[in-house]
Amino acid sequence: MVKETKIITKNWSQIDPNEIDDAIEAGGYRALEKFIHKMTPALALEEIKLSGLCGRGGAGFPTGIKLESVQKEKGKEKYFICNLDESEPGAYKDRSIVDSDPHMLLEGIIIESLIVGARKAFIYVNGNYQKQIEILQRAVEQARAKNFIGEQILGSKYNLEVEIFAGAGAYICGEETALINSIEGNRGEPKARPPFPTQCGLFGKPTAVNNAETVANIPWIISNGGKKFATIGSKKSAGTKLFIVNGCVKNPGVFEAPLGTKLADLIEKYAGGMQNGKNFWFAQVGGSSGRLVLENDLVRKLEYDREAKIPLGSGAILVVDKTADIHELLLSWMSFFRRESCGKCVPCREGTYRLWEIAKRLQDGEISERDVAAIKDILWTLNNTTFCPLGKFAATAFGDALSNFQKEIYRLSK
Amino acid sequence: MTVEKILLEFDAELKNLLPVLKKINAEFGYVGEEEAQKVADYFSLPLSKVYETASFYDLINTKRQPPLMIQVCSGANCAVKSAYKIISEIENQLHIKAGDDFNPNVKLEIISCLGQCGRGPIMIINKKIFTQVTPSSAREFLHNYM
Repeated sequence: MVKETKIITKNWSQIDPNEIDDAIEAGGYRALEKFIHKMTPALALEEIKLSGLCGRGGAGFPTGIKLESVQKEKGKEKYFICNLDESEPGAYKDRSIVDSDPHMLLEGIIIESLIVGARKAFIYVNGNYQKQIEILQRAVEQARAKNFIGEQILGSKYNLEVEIFAGAGAYICGEETALINSIEGNRGEPKARPPFPTQCGLFGKPTAVNNAETVANIPWIISNGGKKFATIGSKKSAGTKLFIVNGCVKNPGVFEAPLGTKLADLIEKYAGGMQNGKNFWFAQVGGSSGRLVLENDLVRKLEYDREAKIPLGSGAILVVDKTADIHELLLSWMSFFRRESCGKCVPCREGTYRLWEIAKRLQDGEISERDVAAIKDILWTLNNTTFCPLGKFAATAFGDALSNFQKEIYRLSK
Repeated sequence: MTVEKILLEFDAELKNLLPVLKKINAEFGYVGEEEAQKVADYFSLPLSKVYETASFYDLINTKRQPPLMIQVCSGANCAVKSAYKIISEIENQLHIKAGDDFNPNVKLEIISCLGQCGRGPIMIINKKIFTQVTPSSAREFLHNYM
């Protein structure tokens, strides 16, 4: 095994997720006490900005800047939302956080809410995560009994209520404006930005939306300082990341590794390497919306960097070996995006549907010349004209597969 | 539990619309027009608005569901572990096509990711989750429900 830097996983499998006392004994809620007794929201925000922490949901937006813009909004009514609507195929890091250490997450939510001045926080949980919803409900009750949530938290002037909101099965609700629509009782369709949720979010009030993994980093940053956090990871992106390695590796699972770790190291050192007798073909980084990485790019570092060739996304990595059927994968990606396209904009609704039809024909070996020409057209349209990034996501893997494995996909002989 | 009783558990605030619809769906298996009308009255919304929301989400049905519901995950993780072979096995076995509504007694649906990728392929029969399914074990599981 490799020597690990542990921030999020430090208590995993050592504490009982259903017992707040276990969490407190392991150092839980000390950051909250420090924040309440020794810090001001402005000071805490400064630490988060110093840390260089950026959003772990996929886009990698700097967390400090997001919190700052909500903090400086004047209105009294503000909201904080923890995004736990994890539905990217192959990603189950947020679920693992709840399963193993829900109180670390809750502590992060409380601190961030108080920093931005929210009196109400929502945890938006994937509707399929029934067990995790129950764990969180228990955690919230226990935290309320200890006065970490509620009126005058730990004798201070802060008040906060935390509510768990279960989603109803829609991938697009991981997008923050769609998520807000969903809580408001609307269809989970994305809204035009600006106005950004930080100014006009839930019920028209300033709202900070953070991914669960991002939130789980906050207690550590408050306890140990932003400067120390910034020394972990790579130059361009600080901290650690939960990577989910799946597919033909010996030990699939969730691993915490510093950002900037090489993909090859993740597969070899963390996930135990390829299964016996399986040959590496390619890896898909970032879930179904991720790019395909061939053998010669395995040395690349995984980090949040706008110019990176391999966007990290949610951190889900699928390792595919040479026995896999590329046609089945194409169909899997397209049937996912066809189902999850919300239907608001035509290019995405029609584009994903047509690509799905073409993927079916590809699998049956009934592809026509018209299809081949249409694919290019559809991919361009998805890439350039859709309302939200889902269209672009849908085109990524399909386009990558097409440019790398044309021979296999069209069943050309050499 | 009647619709009225479910409604009384919630305040008529918009943030409760989705939770109410989910609860009705859990109780009755779907949100029909009659139920949706009661919800609309309670929240003082037009019926179309309630349907607009209800029809969007995967976990809410607006039609009565057949007694046998089979769902197979086809997310990329399950797909590379031969989920599609399981799907065609079931299609052949039951003479249905995935996604079709024609048979009133049974429906096969392709779904994606439940966050159990480590244990795929995943199959769900009437809400019971089966993990690490193979085409032949899928056939056996199905037999218990026929």
